[in-house]
Amino acid sequence: MKRNIVGWLIMLPTLILFSFYVWEPLIESIILSFFNAQGMRLKEFVGLANYKFIFNHPDFKSAFLNTFSYTFWSLIIGFLVPIIMAILINELIRFKGFSRVSLYLPSVIPGLAVALMWTFIYKPSETGLLNIILGKFGISPQPWLTNPKWTIPLIVIMMTWRSAGATMLIYLAGLQNINPELYEASVIDGANILHRIRYITIPQIYNLARSLLVLQIIAVFQVLYEPLVMTNGGPNNASLSLMQLMYRYAFERFDYPKAASVSVFIGLMLVLITVLYNTFVKEKDM
Amino acid sequence: MKKTGIIREFDLKRKEIKILYYLVYLVVLILVLIALTPIIWTILSGFKTLSEFVNEPSFLPKNFDYEKYIQTWRVLKFGRYYLNSFYVIIGSVIFAVIGNGLLAYSLSKVRPKGWSVVYSLVLWSLMVPNTIGLVPLFMNINRLGLQGTFVPLWLAFGANAFYVVLYKNFFDSIPQSLIEAARIDGANELNIFFRIVFPLSMPINTVITIFAINGAWSDFLLPYLVLNNTGKETVMVRLFQFRTSVATPVDIIRAVVFSLIPPIILFAFFQKYIMEGATHTGIHG
Repeated sequence: MKRNIVGWLIMLPTLILFSFYVWEPLIESIILSFFNAQGMRLKEFVGLANYKFIFNHPDFKSAFLNTFSYTFWSLIIGFLVPIIMAILINELIRFKGFSRVSLYLPSVIPGLAVALMWTFIYKPSETGLLNIILGKFGISPQPWLTNPKWTIPLIVIMMTWRSAGATMLIYLAGLQNINPELYEASVIDGANILHRIRYITIPQIYNLARSLLVLQIIAVFQVLYEPLVMTNGGPNNASLSLMQLMYRYAFERFDYPKAASVSVFIGLMLVLITVLYNTFVKEKDM
Repeated sequence: MKKTGIIREFDLKRKEIKILYYLVYLVVLILVLIALTPIIWTILSGFKTLSEFVNEPSFLPKNFDYEKYIQTWRVLKFGRYYLNSFYVIIGSVIFAVIGNGLLAYSLSKVRPKGWSVVYSLVLWSLMVPNTIGLVPLFMNINRLGLQGTFVPLWLAFGANAFYVVLYKNFFDSIPQSLIEAARIDGANELNIFFRIVFPLSMPINTVITIFAINGAWSDFLLPYLVLNNTGKETVMVRLFQFRTSVATPVDIIRAVVFSLIPPIILFAFFQKYIMEGATHTGIHG
């Protein structure tokens, strides 16, 4: 009995912090989205008015489609790169440690610093790093981020550069768990390299890849400071994400209830993605 | 002798496989170049003068005069921002270790009635994107009058579900009999935590400390909302303000270098811990 009380007392300070930082804001976000407010003071219950307002605003459509575009490109560009990196590194005899450390290094750099760094790399003049490299091959300077068609894929390339190394380490751990005898046995059966990848390597990391895929979708869906720092959502809303729309409502227009509505909408989308994933996986596994 | 991977020792006897194997090395080399070039180019660009940086499409600077870096450090008063970041880090580490450690200790070794409900809630927090509660959190910090102080940034590290999980897993491996023996000797729970469990947990304390240092250094959204225009800006907040400032591109690029040197030094020293941790965390950032 005494132990129960002591145990709860020990947990209490941290639980208060969890409530303040994690649990309460989540619930308050939902409540806030149904009210209107003057600055920070809630005034009256307005039902779905905030939601109607944000959905009818032209920015919402851009942000919604762009967020899917970010997710789509991150699957195209960012999903396979860490897997390929891990498979290649796992093959090495020499320089294995050096390669692992080098490929992980970009993950160590703060995301904000990376975004600023890449602003200079993508600089449209001939002195941006990418244009310097292209210039060596005799190609004229490209506009990069200022071309609305390229903005999102280029931001995704930057995000991949930063995070691929960290994801690679997870796959590498998965690959190291594969029993070498499986490969040895397949050699005896006459399987060539492609067979081994197809029938041993891929099945062994399949589940891992599936969960990382969902984590990646959830992470990219919340992309905020890359467009905020690099393009401010431009050119002409071409890279505005849903999270950045939330940021604009909250910290540029100080309309907290509308910002909360956007947050709740993002949350619902993420719940939907997770639910769809779970039903899809269950059907496949049965 | 090749022990890992898809290509086995036995395959390397064949010529075409040997060529394929050299190709693997070539592709890895290209990947390493892609990973390192932007960082190296950024550091080298910091040695350029403004006109050099704006007009000359060269990879290398004309000279390596580090005076330019010192100049920028002085002009942008970077010492102050480093100091602010340092204050934020100190408090963050203390709360990260004590706050999450105490909760995990209770969940692992005391286990009061209902502990599993708490643990489920903590695990569930891992899945919840924290940016969704950002607006109400910001409002609550304002209502409590904590705007413009380091306090909300310190406390934020005391509620990290991921750190709780790491701590709990570690404490689970400490034998329960050791704890029971201390209880029979009449030690109270806080004493057991601080005198017995904590000293035994140095490996995990190190990991959490490194994570918290890195997290507190790199974090910018909450610090920006809390500290903007208060004179207490951290390095990252200052960096973010450059979007709308009149600083020259070379000053900004040198400021970027100042912001990435500490994490790289930390990584150089604690590479093993950091990469070990990254393997267990999944996607961060």
